[in-house]
Amino acid sequence: MSRVPALVAMHADLAAALIRAAARVYGPVDDVEVLSNEGLSRDALERAITERVAGWSDGGLVFTDLWGGSCHVCGASAARGRGSVVVLSGLNLPTLLDYLHNRDHLGVEELAERLLQKGRESIRLQRAAS
Amino acid sequence: MSWLLVRVDDRLIHGQVVVAWGARLRPARIWVADDGVAASAWERDLLQSAAPDAEVRVATLAEVAGAWESEAAAAGGAFLLVRDLPTALALHDAGACFRLLNLGGLHYAPGKDKVNEYVYLDARDRDSARTLLARGVVLEVQDVPAARPVSLASLDPACATS
Repeated sequence: MSRVPALVAMHADLAAALIRAAARVYGPVDDVEVLSNEGLSRDALERAITERVAGWSDGGLVFTDLWGGSCHVCGASAARGRGSVVVLSGLNLPTLLDYLHNRDHLGVEELAERLLQKGRESIRLQRAAS
Repeated sequence: MSWLLVRVDDRLIHGQVVVAWGARLRPARIWVADDGVAASAWERDLLQSAAPDAEVRVATLAEVAGAWESEAAAAGGAFLLVRDLPTALALHDAGACFRLLNLGGLHYAPGKDKVNEYVYLDARDRDSARTLLARGVVLEVQDVPAARPVSLASLDPACATS
């Protein structure tokens, strides 16, 4: 099974920072593209995302930070008509790490569903011990 | 008036609108006045899903102008988004008599000059701005509610003269 490619598209420097943080925990991170929406109009951002996903012959994942944000909206536009390009919004570090651990042995759809579940489970409360 | 925010933003619905302005002003409805988006069922659906806490109405300029007075009298409050200054002027021409226009995101494109980090204008944008200013519309540059609003004419003197 081939590796599921990914693009991390987020506000400001968050995408690059998430990859740097993942590298601290996981080791060197390769084959993940990074994009900031900084200064880009909707059209320019959609073009930038489209350029990156156009080469994914078997689909892939577009990770964004915020549902309804420009990266999400433009990611959805860029994915339109490309069957197995899936947008996942709300990516955090645990979910990114789970992607890195599973991208080589799961298909796009199966991986997307797994990450949705893992992401939801990753937000937890730690209350002070009594 | 139930129009809470009339904004020029080439990203239309996005994070600043949904999270920052939306959390501050809590609109019941977000109107997107855009003939191109209104003509595409797929784009309409996408924008409608992008703001889960408000009802999104994507409409043509004529439809928004026609609904202007009834929305102004309606309960709940509304935002209006257009993608550029010429569209804002066309909407004003059509009868949407807004008095305050927020400039929130007019990003770089070839041929546009930088006014600040998120506002770039060309000659046609400035023509539209001058016409709106001459009609008494206040043009304020402000990306998020926590930022200080600044008049466009003070940031870009070319807009203030003819």
